[in-house]
Amino acid sequence: MGEAPHGGAEVINKNSGEMKIDQVFLFWIIAAMTGLSSIMVVVTQNIVRAATWLLFALGGTSGIFFLLGADFVGATQLLVYVGGTLVLVVFGVMLTAQGPFISMKTGAAEWGVAMIVGILLYGVLAISFFTGNPLTVVQPNQITETGPNTSLSSVTLGESLLGIEQASPPGNWTGAKLPANESSGSEEIKKVRKQVSYLLPFEIVSVHLLVVLIGAAYLARAKRRRGAIA
Amino acid sequence: MNWFLDVQEHPGLLYVYATLLPLASFVLLLLAGALRTALRPAPGVSGSNLYYLLGGDAPLRSGGYIATAGIGSAFVLSVFGFILFTRDYNAAFPHHDAQPGHAAVQGQGKTAEKESDDKADKRREQFDGHWKDSFDWAWVKTGNSTTSAKEGTVLKLGYKIDHLAAIMFLMVTLVATLIHLFSIGYMGEELQPEVEDHQVHTQHGSLRRRGRFGRFFLYMSLFCFSMLNLVLADNLFQVFLSWELVGICSYLLIGFYFERRSASDAANKAFITNRIGDAGFILGLIIIWTYVGSFNFEDIFHKVRAGEKDPSNTRYQFAGQVVRGEKVGFGEGTEKLRITPDGSEVVLFPLKGNAENIAEDKTVPTKINPGAGDFGTMPYWLLVTAGLGIFLGCVGKSAQFPLHVWLPDAMEGPTPVSALIHAATMVAAGVYLVGRCFPLFVPESRLVIAYTGAITLFVAATIAIVMTDIKKVLAYSTVSQLGYMMLALGVGGWVAGLFHLVTHAFFKALLFLGSGSVIYGCHHEQDMLKMGGLYPKMKITALTMLIGVLAIAGIPTFSGWFSKDAILAEALGFVHVNRQHGLLFLLPLMTAGITTFYMFRMWLLTFTGKPRDHHVFEHAGESPGVMTVPLIVLAFFSWVVAWGSNPLNPEKSYLEEQIHHAQHLSVTADFGMVAGAGEAAGEHTETVEHFTHEYHALAGYLALGIVLLAIIFAFVVYWFKVLDPAEAKEQFPGVHRFLWNKWYFDELYSAILVRPALTVAGWARGFDINVIDGTVDFLGRATVRISSWNGKFDLGIVDGLVNLTGNVIFGIGYSFRRLQTGYLRSYVLFLVLAAIGFFAVLSYFVAKTAAS
Amino acid sequence: MTPDLNHYLLLGAVLFVSGALCMANKRNAIGVLMGVELVLNGASINFIAFARFNPIFAIEGQIFALFVIVLAAAEAAIALAIVLNFYNNHMTVDVDTAEELKG
Repeated sequence: MGEAPHGGAEVINKNSGEMKIDQVFLFWIIAAMTGLSSIMVVVTQNIVRAATWLLFALGGTSGIFFLLGADFVGATQLLVYVGGTLVLVVFGVMLTAQGPFISMKTGAAEWGVAMIVGILLYGVLAISFFTGNPLTVVQPNQITETGPNTSLSSVTLGESLLGIEQASPPGNWTGAKLPANESSGSEEIKKVRKQVSYLLPFEIVSVHLLVVLIGAAYLARAKRRRGAIA
Repeated sequence: MNWFLDVQEHPGLLYVYATLLPLASFVLLLLAGALRTALRPAPGVSGSNLYYLLGGDAPLRSGGYIATAGIGSAFVLSVFGFILFTRDYNAAFPHHDAQPGHAAVQGQGKTAEKESDDKADKRREQFDGHWKDSFDWAWVKTGNSTTSAKEGTVLKLGYKIDHLAAIMFLMVTLVATLIHLFSIGYMGEELQPEVEDHQVHTQHGSLRRRGRFGRFFLYMSLFCFSMLNLVLADNLFQVFLSWELVGICSYLLIGFYFERRSASDAANKAFITNRIGDAGFILGLIIIWTYVGSFNFEDIFHKVRAGEKDPSNTRYQFAGQVVRGEKVGFGEGTEKLRITPDGSEVVLFPLKGNAENIAEDKTVPTKINPGAGDFGTMPYWLLVTAGLGIFLGCVGKSAQFPLHVWLPDAMEGPTPVSALIHAATMVAAGVYLVGRCFPLFVPESRLVIAYTGAITLFVAATIAIVMTDIKKVLAYSTVSQLGYMMLALGVGGWVAGLFHLVTHAFFKALLFLGSGSVIYGCHHEQDMLKMGGLYPKMKITALTMLIGVLAIAGIPTFSGWFSKDAILAEALGFVHVNRQHGLLFLLPLMTAGITTFYMFRMWLLTFTGKPRDHHVFEHAGESPGVMTVPLIVLAFFSWVVAWGSNPLNPEKSYLEEQIHHAQHLSVTADFGMVAGAGEAAGEHTETVEHFTHEYHALAGYLALGIVLLAIIFAFVVYWFKVLDPAEAKEQFPGVHRFLWNKWYFDELYSAILVRPALTVAGWARGFDINVIDGTVDFLGRATVRISSWNGKFDLGIVDGLVNLTGNVIFGIGYSFRRLQTGYLRSYVLFLVLAAIGFFAVLSYFVAKTAAS
Repeated sequence: MTPDLNHYLLLGAVLFVSGALCMANKRNAIGVLMGVELVLNGASINFIAFARFNPIFAIEGQIFALFVIVLAAAEAAIALAIVLNFYNNHMTVDVDTAEELKG
């Protein structure tokens, strides 16, 4: 199925044509920024600067999310990841960044090994992307025109999280245009696409967060320095 | 066994009782001694009453009394037996001729007293010259019982009494009784609970041991029993039994002081030398058993020698002789012998019945497996060998050359032992047997006997000249006199030899006991060079010994004179007929002089002259009565025992006549006639017997002359001290040394017999130590080595493998340990690497499925 | 050129790799933590990208990314607590000093 990327729905996109040039441009900018920031996180010796580069990397990631149409996730990323986790990390940096710990050097041999390993890993990953049999990929110019946005709305996400399985009229969960009559259309999509509910994982995660909260509180309680058994 | 108690019908049983009496005393002494030893308490503890009753720590004198009583009663019984026997004999053979062969063999008794129905008379009617009876002792199954002559052969024990046996019995019991009496006094030292033996040195001084009084009489009783059994025996098997028994007793008695090395060595020597003779004896026994099938004397003689008369009362041509023949013709189961004087085979006459007359050139059928009534045949050389074999036994027992070496050493035993065993009785057993087995000997054997005797008598006499130990002089004298007896028997003087045996027993026992008395009186000093001048101190001993010396020298009227003259006469007669054997007369004649010389030397050195050792002289004293009375009795007998109707006539001796009655037909057959010539009976010209009678006086005068010369010479040297023996020793040192070392016989035997035996033993020992032990050690060491290799293999390879496995695994694990660096970052790196690998593999597989 | 799925994936790979390297290289414990964040972010990008370009996974991708973000926050909290404890006990945040598990 070598023509798989173009197989499937022969959807004519009225808005077909190239992607908006600003989208392309935006992607490259944000991608470059994110990539650069992440690499700088590794490279820099100073922990505080690393935290800063991380901030940019996470921000860039959020931008990517927005670019990909997952605006809720992108927002959540900014709120939780950048505003919560990263702050936490910065707190940790601040608490532990005493004199000698601010910039700790690693040896050249380790850099060498790291480089090799990194390139190796990247290569493997890249090769694995280009080989294999990816499932149906919807090109951007195949996106249906029925919706003003080409991404899933947050409503859909929320409903799935809440476990709503049935809606009337049946919503269009995906951005893909459903055939006018259900007899036509991709058999694979029909088979695969079904109502999903993520209520249980949602609840588990919330309990998980509770546990984490308690655990972290316990771990971080006040205790004597040095020799205290946690 | 009712017949055992029926003395009237079997008067020979008197003799059987007499033989068993010393055995009874032996058993009694043995039991008492064993009981006493068993009851002996530990030192310091007091014993039981029975122990002290039996004597306690020291032996009782009653042991000696019991033994003497035993043998004394045997003597009394033998006196009765002799009287009864001669009465029976004189009644049966009133003509009282020299040989019973001249009277009819059977049925003579009927001309005697006319009473009938009396058991004694019936016995006398059947009397044929001897009392005999026997009982079966063991059965031997040999061959095919129906056709073999040996069918139902049986070993028997029995007795046969004829004049010779009766007289021997008398002599043995009398001498033994007197010696027992003597020993009660002589062995008094053994009555102490502790005896000190000065000749045995231990680390604490001289040896101290218990007294052994009882043991002495124990052994003596056993010896007496065996000797009497030997005298009585009617078959060679019984003789052999007693032969060995007397040998054992001799061994035990010579080694009585066994702690002394010399005594135990002497006992060994005696027994072993005797054993060599016994080997010949057994050889003879085997040959006789094979061809004759019986050990009985009568059977043997009946088979080997022709009988006197054939069924028709005609005298055989070869009466009493050994008949030889040549084998001719062979036919189923029989072969024939043609009678020739030089045949290679001997005719064996049938046991049952008298065979038909045989004459020269006639053929006689002999069966290959002869029955009791058939002729048999035997190779002549085997008969010679049988005779020589038995003679070899006698050589050993009677200490003839070359087996004489044990007798002088046997003087290690107590003196009464030497007197009884090695003078009067045991050594006489050999001569007695030669006399008994005389019909077995053919001319070749007899010549060997004669020469052996001649050499012996000369050699021993020469050695006796230089001996200084009083007992050794007497020992060599005994050997010499035994040689005389053998010589006499060899040259045909059957009666003379045995006569000398009896007289010699008396005066030699006397001489030994006398020397015992001297030794006892001088407190166990035996060296004549330390004696001298003892006459005033021991008169009885000196005088009785003088009588003994005169007897052995052959002075007229003494017993030795009669017998010695008889021997010399026989020798002269023989030499006259066979001129080439002149040495057989010269040697005994010369030796008579030598004998006289050394006997007088001994007497003069001991009793006359100045005392040479004052210590010995001062303590010397006469022996107690219990010792001197036997001396006197023996002296009496050695003077008068040979007297006959006229003491001055050497040919008329009562004793000699009695012995003459027991003479076998074969003696006259061989010496009365020239062998081989078929002369008619009654003609005795040109025979040994004839010349013996003719030259008896000549021989006597010659002997007397030499004896007187010797006496004069002895007195000149030792009484008048004109010639000095020390000077003679210096002038002839080689001769003296040669004689002093007993003609180097001991050294010779040591070199050719003892040393090779020891060498072979050394080789055997070397083989055992080096080869056998070496092999065993080698095997042991090899096993150890192999097991060490095994161990190394086990430790090295097997354990090594196991250890190697463990080490390898440990190494692998250790190398893995290094992965645990403890660094977080390296763990992360590993994670990343693992992820890389995972991805790589996954993409490969995905690509594969994509491609397919 | 129009960003394709692959581009987004490669971008996610970059983040992932740099996050892994950060974990492997940083001696500071907080630095390791940062690396963890980067890795999770890279994975999220992947998820969202797949959600965008594959209508089958439209909801799943985003849901998953949401959960990742939430869990990453929880994990960061705990991790920080641990690091602070470690800092309190050893007076250092140098990861190399925590070598007591060395074999």
